[in-house]
Amino acid sequence: MFDSVLVANRGEIARRVLRTLHGLGIRSMAIYTEADRDAPHVREADAAELVSSYLSIDEIMVVAARCDAVHPGYGFLSENPAFARACEEMGVVFIGPSADAIELMGDKVRAKAAAEVAGVPVVPTYTPETAEYPVLVKAAAGGGGRGMRVVERPEDLADAMAAASREAAAGFGDDRVFLERFLPRARHIEVQVIGDTHGTVISLGERECTLQRRHQKVIEESPSPVVDAALREVFGREAVALAQAAGYVGAGTVEFIADADDPSQHFFLEMNARLQVEHPVTELVTGLDLVELQLRVAAGEPLDVQVEMTGHAIEARVNAEDLRFFPSAGPVLLARYPSGVRVDAAVETGSVVGTDYDSMIAKVIAHGPDRRTALARLDRALSNTAILGLETNVGFLRSLLARDDVRAGEMDTGLIGRLDPPEPPLTDEEAAAAWASAQLRRAGDDPWQRVDGWRLGGARAPSYWTLSVNGGAPISIEHNLKGSDPLRLCSGPWVAVDGWTWRVSEPSAEDLHHVAGDGELRAPMPGSVLLTPRAVGDEVKAGEPVVVLESMKMELSLTAPSDGTVTELKVKVGDKVGRDEIVAVVA
Amino acid sequence: MTHAELVADLNAQLERVRLGGGEKARARHTSRGKLLPRERVDRLLDHGAPFLELSPLAAHGMYDGDAPGAGLVTGVGRVQGRECVIVANDATVKGGTYYPMTVKKHLRAQEVALHNLLPCIYLVDSGGAFLPLQDEVFPDREHFGRIFFNQATMSEKGIPQIAAVLGSCTAGGAYVPAMSDECVIVREQGTIFLGGPPLVKAATGEEVTAEELGGGDLHSRTSGVTDHLADDDAHALAIVRDIVATLPKPTRAWERIAVEPPHHDADSIFDVVPADVRKPYDPHELIARLVDGSHFHEFKALYGPTLVTGFAHIHGHPVGILANNGILFSESALKGAHFIELCDRRRIPLVFLQNISGFMVGKDYEAGGIAKHGAKMVTAVSCARVPKLTVIVGGSFGAGNYGMCGRAYSPRFLFMWPNARISVMGGQQAATVMETVGQPEVGASLREQYEEQGHPYYATARLWDDGVIDPRDTRDVLGLALGACSGAPLRDVGYGVFRM
Repeated sequence: MFDSVLVANRGEIARRVLRTLHGLGIRSMAIYTEADRDAPHVREADAAELVSSYLSIDEIMVVAARCDAVHPGYGFLSENPAFARACEEMGVVFIGPSADAIELMGDKVRAKAAAEVAGVPVVPTYTPETAEYPVLVKAAAGGGGRGMRVVERPEDLADAMAAASREAAAGFGDDRVFLERFLPRARHIEVQVIGDTHGTVISLGERECTLQRRHQKVIEESPSPVVDAALREVFGREAVALAQAAGYVGAGTVEFIADADDPSQHFFLEMNARLQVEHPVTELVTGLDLVELQLRVAAGEPLDVQVEMTGHAIEARVNAEDLRFFPSAGPVLLARYPSGVRVDAAVETGSVVGTDYDSMIAKVIAHGPDRRTALARLDRALSNTAILGLETNVGFLRSLLARDDVRAGEMDTGLIGRLDPPEPPLTDEEAAAAWASAQLRRAGDDPWQRVDGWRLGGARAPSYWTLSVNGGAPISIEHNLKGSDPLRLCSGPWVAVDGWTWRVSEPSAEDLHHVAGDGELRAPMPGSVLLTPRAVGDEVKAGEPVVVLESMKMELSLTAPSDGTVTELKVKVGDKVGRDEIVAVVA
Repeated sequence: MTHAELVADLNAQLERVRLGGGEKARARHTSRGKLLPRERVDRLLDHGAPFLELSPLAAHGMYDGDAPGAGLVTGVGRVQGRECVIVANDATVKGGTYYPMTVKKHLRAQEVALHNLLPCIYLVDSGGAFLPLQDEVFPDREHFGRIFFNQATMSEKGIPQIAAVLGSCTAGGAYVPAMSDECVIVREQGTIFLGGPPLVKAATGEEVTAEELGGGDLHSRTSGVTDHLADDDAHALAIVRDIVATLPKPTRAWERIAVEPPHHDADSIFDVVPADVRKPYDPHELIARLVDGSHFHEFKALYGPTLVTGFAHIHGHPVGILANNGILFSESALKGAHFIELCDRRRIPLVFLQNISGFMVGKDYEAGGIAKHGAKMVTAVSCARVPKLTVIVGGSFGAGNYGMCGRAYSPRFLFMWPNARISVMGGQQAATVMETVGQPEVGASLREQYEEQGHPYYATARLWDDGVIDPRDTRDVLGLALGACSGAPLRDVGYGVFRM
């Protein structure tokens, strides 16, 4: 076994790998960029070195030279054959398949051909001339949904291919794209395999990753609710055959796309030559440590494991994103993770989520004797998850897990795309009240610090709040502090209730004035009207000039105090106006 | 009546007064987009902050019941983390006009601000003096004009004063905002003028609307009488809060320590103090229910035991407590004077728990010089520089009232229990005295008069105290009051002549 291993990654996967390394008594080395200087993985590693980028092979090799092996995690250089080769040349073990195998699997076209040869069913490919619509445009070097497009009509194909090609070039440095049959209702089922240097490849069962948003997995589980023992056998056989044909060593995942209505109809999609984000669900049902197995096969040990799947495991990816799946960023004021489940987290209280890296900030993984129990445990766990300081998808995940079709296992990859944004469990008023209630926490034992609205004779006065929820218009609430008020998790403007979070702020007197203000534009000094760039009925944004005066040889712009419509224009060009005269009104 | 019955009646009175001028007047007030005075106060205060209201039952039983609370809400409350005196007119009570007791209540609130160096916030909504009683509100020293005299002299002492003009501010009332440090006015609602439109028309024939004559726009843009123009009450109050945030923070005159609750429930006060002021009880039992951890470090326990003295803490504030345990003898008075001097030197505020029928009388006692010994205690009480807080928990009769820091001795705050009685002597004694001097019929009527005038509601109606409180609130009220006192620096110790 190795004495020291470099973890060439960041975030939760770096921490995950470090955990196993430390458990095995292996010294760990981490790398970090300036943005990650205070990241948990840096602190948790035995040593860490600064690099300019997690993609900088040259710099990373300098650090790797001091270690026996390199674990690349996922993403970044994990499937970069040049990196694997650089390790090979330096005599550092790359924990993963050979550069050749990476190269083969990284090329979608060649990988598909290899699958075909190994007897694995593949999705029919087309040329632009033979395409049947809808058709899928994919990047040859792609992954993670980038460079992928569904085209409904032949006339859109050329544009789509060009766009995909551009995206692929930018994302992967390889602009090749190809066309593939598109299954309108598909499930995503994948098989975890691992091979050793002695020619053994085994299957660790399948994972279902059908719930995706923008082609990125959100919920993953093992086993798949629609795969029985016989089908599992088929999937396993196919995946192992492909890996063996490729001389595959290490952990990998063979991904299939399956007909949602008949998963026995499935096609090889691609093989990921690395550890996947969703590997924990396999670990929980098999009881195996995949990182440990990776290390052992990389060290040349023969595989010696009995694979037995017990119960059901489901993982939910906690992303820093809003309800429209746009990334959010900011300082993590408070991170609370649930107990009783596995949590692989990238951020903690005090972390800063930037936009430099992936929006996934944690994974919550529940295991149970059956799917129902695992779902219940995951939902409870998510309801106790709170990342305050930025928007996350935890509430969305809960609404997804609560759906009847999801609970029944009736899913296809387009399901999330068809959903309307979920309704939060609290109205804005309720969220404002929850936040207000959390503010009413007594700061000390001075009776003046009471927060219960104490009045003579046992009376208790309400507190009045004017609050803006998630940046919306101010709402007024009256709050009576009752002894029975639930304790709400709150930090700064953020409040969490049942996994959902809201940002609540108290507008200043100045802000309130802008909301309730009269919108009157007055001449600050006497002058004449030079311009009236806006007419009655025009929409104006705050700060846009409505009337321009000339006074004392200076031009003076009278600007809209807030967004609105010009409702009155009392002057025309050339008019003389007096000091304080109202010239226009914006409402 | 039992304590519970007395408190139930007190709460019923407070609840009635909180409704101000009644349902109709309230509806008319709110239909104009105006907030009710107590809601104004609640919105001005920090969220959930306490409000130590002063004399809520002012004018109780006076003016044919037309002026609940004297049409004014006053008290100490927390704004932006610091205690402030708040004076809010209740326009639902006769348009917020000033009855004699309204003037007295306003002046008392200013006095609280003055003695404790608290910022003073005026929420103005008043038609000025109540004209039918002009002889009782206008001409004298402690009448309407004193409000503005106080504003000037308070300002001279560095006390910040802020006014929000939320309604009328007529005639002399115009000086409230005009003499404040900073003021806010609500547009198309607040008005400030020396003479209203009818008076102007009568005087000069000029026809003008109230808004043109003294509205927010005029005063904020043209006259400069007001400094901030607000859209509505809530906006005005938010601006006042912003102004308070700019005020410097006070330094505390003493340190507060961590609070330990008393070892006995406040409810048990009713079990250890009889509601009947004639029944004796052990004041140690009461003290144990008021002070932190029920810890009382008694001073001179064996000497002059009819006055219990000792050190303790209330809500973390250090206090020296003087509690009556019977009639005052020479020894008790000497002990009291000694104890007051100790607390004064040690910068410890004094708490008087008054239940006193007076000083001992009789040949031996006069011969023993009880008059000069009592005088020493009165001198000590009068001259002590530390804050004095008085709670009348039972009887407050005769010279005992003086020695135990009655209203005339300017305690920073004085509260009364609903079972308490206050008069120059007990009704029964007065009757007996008159019988003895051969006027039994005068005695009978005197007894009745003393009973009525000695009642806490009669007292509080006339501002002889700062309010009647539920005995179970005593600890909290004292804690809040001590906090309110603690921001004023203490002057040097100094006393008059103690006759030996």
